[in-house]
Amino acid sequence: MTIARDELRDATRKTLGEAGLMPDAGQSWQLLAELGWFGLAAPEADGGLGLGAEAVAAVHIELGRALVPGAAIAQMTAIAVLCAAPDLPDRDARIAAAIAGERVALSLDPADATGLLGLVDADLAREVLLVAPDRIALAPIEQATGRPAWDLSRRLFDGTAGPATVIATGEAARAIHDLATRRLLLALSADAVGGAEAALDMAVDYLKTRRQFDRPLALFQALKHRVADLKIAVAAAEALLWSRAGDEASLVQLGALKALATTTYCRVAEEAVQLHGGIGLTREHPCHLFLKRAFLNAALGGDADHWTERAARAALAPPSTADR
Amino acid sequence: MSASSDPLAVLRRELRAWLAAHRPADWREAATHEAFVASQRAWFARLVEAGYAIPHWPAEWPGGGRSLAEQKVIYEELARADAPRLLLSFVSTYHAFATLHECGSAEQQARYLPGILRGETWCQGFSEPGAGSDLAAVRTRAERQGDVYVVNGQKVWSTMAQYADRCLLLARTSSEGAKQAGLTYFLMDMKAPGVTVRPIHQIQGDEEFAEIFLDNVAIPVSERVGAEGDGWAVAQATLSSERGLTLMELGYRMRGALDRIADLILAGGRADDAGVLRDFGALGAQVDAVCALADQFLESRMAGTEQVGDASIVKNAYSRALRAYAALGVRLGGIDAQYMAPITYGDLNSGNWMADFMNSYAWTIAGGSEEVQRNIIAERMLGMPREPKGWTLA
Repeated sequence: MTIARDELRDATRKTLGEAGLMPDAGQSWQLLAELGWFGLAAPEADGGLGLGAEAVAAVHIELGRALVPGAAIAQMTAIAVLCAAPDLPDRDARIAAAIAGERVALSLDPADATGLLGLVDADLAREVLLVAPDRIALAPIEQATGRPAWDLSRRLFDGTAGPATVIATGEAARAIHDLATRRLLLALSADAVGGAEAALDMAVDYLKTRRQFDRPLALFQALKHRVADLKIAVAAAEALLWSRAGDEASLVQLGALKALATTTYCRVAEEAVQLHGGIGLTREHPCHLFLKRAFLNAALGGDADHWTERAARAALAPPSTADR
Repeated sequence: MSASSDPLAVLRRELRAWLAAHRPADWREAATHEAFVASQRAWFARLVEAGYAIPHWPAEWPGGGRSLAEQKVIYEELARADAPRLLLSFVSTYHAFATLHECGSAEQQARYLPGILRGETWCQGFSEPGAGSDLAAVRTRAERQGDVYVVNGQKVWSTMAQYADRCLLLARTSSEGAKQAGLTYFLMDMKAPGVTVRPIHQIQGDEEFAEIFLDNVAIPVSERVGAEGDGWAVAQATLSSERGLTLMELGYRMRGALDRIADLILAGGRADDAGVLRDFGALGAQVDAVCALADQFLESRMAGTEQVGDASIVKNAYSRALRAYAALGVRLGGIDAQYMAPITYGDLNSGNWMADFMNSYAWTIAGGSEEVQRNIIAERMLGMPREPKGWTLA
């Protein structure tokens, strides 16, 4: 599977590579749709590629690396929900359309009970998935009001919805809610690992190029040791990501991963700006884009406080009652 | 392949059954270092007999010829069973073996390798008061006089040298040219006249290391490994002998020992203290990440894709997690953790929190300090320029 993972990463990187950092949102969306990558993890019977959670992580690492704008995380999570929902009307057509790039909005805001806050690119979507633990529903979006976020790579909207169609309830809804949350956490973790890698590479390159006191900054041991520590943190986050990027990882395990990965991304992005000195404070230099995406990732899908606390409660609980 | 016929599964099953019957349950009860060493000798002998002590040796040795995947299974199971770690025999079975196997003469191999299986122990005489991170600065002199080298100097941080029968000795035979070029490698009898060993009393009360004083010690020329001046190259063979298995084993043991922190939280009535829970949850993820890193490192070794710096990443990630583990224990232990309690030999996650905390320095300092590892990562992995050689006060 490692080979498939690396191949997928390479393919994604090559495909995205030509467009550079934070490529055009519409073109990137088109590209992902044409490659069929929204359906990476969807079953082959549903028109997907049937590649599972590891493939999802591989693609999101590269989307994070390149700061690809848009709603890919929500879209792929939404497709997982659609495929699993027992009562989805026009099931096959809806899933096929979503894999082909027809947008389905889905909230990434952990504090949102309505399912209508923090929707990425909701102005371009016709429908929104409302994912609650006891009820999964699909509703038309009536209005989408933009709320610009600091992160320039994700356009966030608050929506209002028309009458909802319930597509799962009870036990099925609980299972789908769990699946959606796990996929969301994995995607956010992968995005964070990819972004952290890229921000670190950028900082290291800068230190090699920038000269002060008649030498490259990369010669100063104080700076070498800082980036070495960042490298260790990123490597640890990536190793944990791959160890949990299967479909068998539990919700709490993925939550703890998300906490570690996004905390690492924030730390690396923060240091990257600092290591860039003055140029890092300018809008023309892309370093700030990582910082902003890192902090939004940390806030989406439940923050580190939430997930580390839940992970600890699960570890303290007797195995039979553990929050898995 | 079915689970019952997969050779790794078979090995795992057999070893698990063997450990259930033979694992010493009382190894933590050693009241003195001598008692711990005695228990280590007994455990090593038992593992040799069962064929699990030297899986990395070639197949002609009983219990040898195991693949890296099989070695990984063995260390996973030893950790899982909470069996004692092989500390006393580590330098013998890894460092001495690798040195003899890769660089020793056929005669040296025949003379020493069988002894290792009989329980002869080796120590490493590399570091000196003036040669720590800068190992090539070794100053212990070896002077050729006829059929012997006469050695004078001092070695330090030699693990369990007070119990060792023999020593892997790095000494200077020449001061000409590059400092690495003047080093020569010897196999030294620790009972030889002129060898004095003094244990180092560590801050937590252990005596895991010792100093070795060498006063006109005569080493026969036949005990030289490689040619005169080859010492640095031979030392690389010694130091690269064990890559990753120990850190994987230690990572797994730390993961198992997270229960000690859980017990502390419950006993202290802090199971609803969000601050404590968050730190415990974050530590759990940190430890899991170390285990994942170590697994990944071994897999890359099996696949032949290991890169320079990978080992440094695993070591630093482990040693920082170890420090964080002990630090959380110290914090949760409160005043109780500040009362001295007997140490547990051979356990880095003993739940004697202050002792564990102090013991964790062994991993941030020994075996290539954290700072040296950072240099390796920055210079050899991230391609940052090396420090200029010359150094003068401005």
